[in-house]
Amino acid sequence: MPFFEIRNIEKKYKEFTLSLSLSIEEGEFLSIIGPSGSGKSTLLSLIAGIESPDSGEMLMDGRDITKEKIQKRGISMVFQDFSLFPSMNVEKNIQFGMKEKDKAKRKELSDKLLEIVGLKDYGKRNVSAISGGEAQRVALARAIASEPRMILFDEPLSALDPPLRKHLRAIIRSIHDSLGITVLYVTHDIEEAFAVSDRIAVMQGGSIVTVKEAEDLYRNPENLFTAFFTGEGTSLPAHLLFDNTDAYAFFRPESAEIVEDSISEDMYPRHIILSDCRVISAEYTGSHYMLGLTYKDYPVLVESSRKPKKADVSVKIPKDSILLLR
Amino acid sequence: MKRKGSGYFILKAIPAVILLLILFLVPLALIFSYAFQDGGKAILNVLEDNYTYYLLSFTVKQAFLSALISVIAALPFSAFFSAYSFPLRKTILTIAQLAFTIPTILVVLGFVIWYGNNGFLNNALRSVLGVSYTPLPILYSFKAIILAHVYLNFPIAFALITARWTQLPPTEENASYTLGQGKAKTFLFITLPRLSGSIASAFILIFLFCFSSFAIVMVLGGNPAYSTLETEIYRRVHVNADLSSAAALSLFAFAVNALLLALTTPGRKERKNERQARVLKKAKGMKLAQAVVLSLIILAFVIPPIASIAVRAFYTKDGIFSLSAWEGIAGRGFGLIGGSVNAAINSLAIGLVTAFLSVWMGSAIATASAKRNSKLLPFITSLPMATGSVMMGLGFIFVTSFIFTKLGIRSYYLSFLFVAAAHLIIVLPFSVRTITPGARAIPDSLSNAAYTLGASYGKTYRSVESPLLRPYRRKAFAFSFALSLGEVNATLMLSSGHVETIPVLIYRMIGSYDYQGAAALGTVLLATALAVFAIGEARWRKDAIL
Repeated sequence: MPFFEIRNIEKKYKEFTLSLSLSIEEGEFLSIIGPSGSGKSTLLSLIAGIESPDSGEMLMDGRDITKEKIQKRGISMVFQDFSLFPSMNVEKNIQFGMKEKDKAKRKELSDKLLEIVGLKDYGKRNVSAISGGEAQRVALARAIASEPRMILFDEPLSALDPPLRKHLRAIIRSIHDSLGITVLYVTHDIEEAFAVSDRIAVMQGGSIVTVKEAEDLYRNPENLFTAFFTGEGTSLPAHLLFDNTDAYAFFRPESAEIVEDSISEDMYPRHIILSDCRVISAEYTGSHYMLGLTYKDYPVLVESSRKPKKADVSVKIPKDSILLLR
Repeated sequence: MKRKGSGYFILKAIPAVILLLILFLVPLALIFSYAFQDGGKAILNVLEDNYTYYLLSFTVKQAFLSALISVIAALPFSAFFSAYSFPLRKTILTIAQLAFTIPTILVVLGFVIWYGNNGFLNNALRSVLGVSYTPLPILYSFKAIILAHVYLNFPIAFALITARWTQLPPTEENASYTLGQGKAKTFLFITLPRLSGSIASAFILIFLFCFSSFAIVMVLGGNPAYSTLETEIYRRVHVNADLSSAAALSLFAFAVNALLLALTTPGRKERKNERQARVLKKAKGMKLAQAVVLSLIILAFVIPPIASIAVRAFYTKDGIFSLSAWEGIAGRGFGLIGGSVNAAINSLAIGLVTAFLSVWMGSAIATASAKRNSKLLPFITSLPMATGSVMMGLGFIFVTSFIFTKLGIRSYYLSFLFVAAAHLIIVLPFSVRTITPGARAIPDSLSNAAYTLGASYGKTYRSVESPLLRPYRRKAFAFSFALSLGEVNATLMLSSGHVETIPVLIYRMIGSYDYQGAAALGTVLLATALAVFAIGEARWRKDAIL
């Protein structure tokens, strides 16, 4: 039995319906990604108890918590805007949800948590006088201090700049690993989700379309939406490449290779050759060129270590890296 | 959308709402019963009487003109103050905001002393021009009513419009200029529509305020031809002793006022916060000179009537320096002034009771209303605004008379409580309106964070939400205290010799031409109101989260 399970939960709004099932194992780090409006934050609100579902149930350790009060669920949440209590200093914020009553022990625990999140001696500081990165670490320490059974992260790093985001996501993951706490992490940053998660769930239009491990999700997306949402790629009507199919052929840019000399399919039997491609653009990304080409009026993306000298080129793609998707 | 815990906050607000309804509905019900006694004869008489419609048309006319002139006069000042920064700009804006807390009775007194036929201005003009007649015969006329209303409300229009204009980033105006449009066309087609919300808000606020204006019309009009619905209700109670007719006229005024409130409420939309406020340009050269001139005009309009009160407190009507009024206030005087200490104690005590209760009730109602996203609670709270303070005073007269005569209970403290209750009902809408933006500004995520950490609704309110509301409560307290301190309409209606407050005493002193005594007492009232305003404002700027 999974540690946390959502069974056929449904929440209807005027122009949007969230309807899904999901399960999380104990100690797992599961990320949820999806475009804006796909229902990620609504899902977290339902799990936390901020909102109530219209139907369905949520089980934690086999216990139905669907109607349980928000305060009693043992699920704490870290918000995008940090949500530190401005009337309290850093230490008081961390101690706010502690179950421990003894003052000295509370102090000891908050000091320890501050050390874990890299903010030793910050206890007496005013929360309005610390940076965004520090504030989010305090929020994390505060969430842990309440001894939750699961922590929900609602885009916790999106208000921070990219270098800080990378640093903090590593802290979040290492704290998860050392405490073994179950984490549900919502983000719109695919790279962040790939970097920290055990598994990733992709949401679209209020439903979960797939749940997989990061590498599997990238390499073997189950549909075109997931394929494009998790990275760049090319989709061509599959009948252009194969017989008897109305699906789309999808491949990643790094799977394809451009060839400036003339080649034939006989030379590369394990590849699909796209002849008569035209180079439209060549963007240098720092490590490689991302080439934009057209093939029979369809756009094609290919990664290349060098900039092509000719405008008319061929593209060869290993057949086993092409996915047929809808 | 409802916020988490709205049920808890509704429960918490129930005692305040019940108290509000009792204090509002009981007097209203008694007014109804008086108006409809003898088969509704009084109400029929009022509806059939042409004089009622004359009163209504005059009331609307003076309120409309006052609001229109205040808003139009404020526009050029607001345009400059929202575009340029210069020394003392903030001070001038703060002085303008004083009008929110200056008791109306002081405006009346200041006008009599400054603009009166023997006032400072006319005396100065007589000596300069060498004439014996009154060069500026302003008082006791229609224009005195309008001028006093503009005096009291121009700063409100100025403050509201300037605040909004300063928030508007000039990008759209700049776009218009780059498209080759001139300043006039840009103002008319770009700026004015963007400002229309705040202009409409200021106009409506001033119109409603002037619609229920009492002391200004009563004293500065000085002529039965200049009667409004409110002054006529007072006359029917205290001159004609015709309570049924007064009750019927009250209901008529209430119906009109409620209709006006209902018509104007959709126009008062919530302000949209712009992401980027405009950067004020530093006034230099000609612009600085313009700033000085505009500031002086505002100061010359606002300061003299109020300052003249403090000056007049030290001079007799013949212009001889005298401390007699101050001695009178200190308890060594005879006649009206002899009651000053008692009136001051009453004013302070009623003010404190009113302010404490209005902040308690205001906090409970504002929080519940914000949590529930309720439209009903703000509506219930704004009901007393539709009645006008004279009508509330009349309602409480009926309550007092019912308890005194029917129940046979007579007590000075009961009268005192009724005055405080009337004040409470009058100031509560302002208190709720002051605290509500604070309650709405508390981010949901902050409360939800506390809930997910296991904190109850009560603990979250006490530890997280209530501290954020503190500056709003403090401002509401200062506002309520200042309003109660200056309240004259309902108190005058109610306190037929029972509970005398400073404004009532000042009103009576003006009536008995004891201007020096009124000025001395007015100075005390002014100093207290200013001190409360300063404390509320200083702490507000320091702590407010908006």
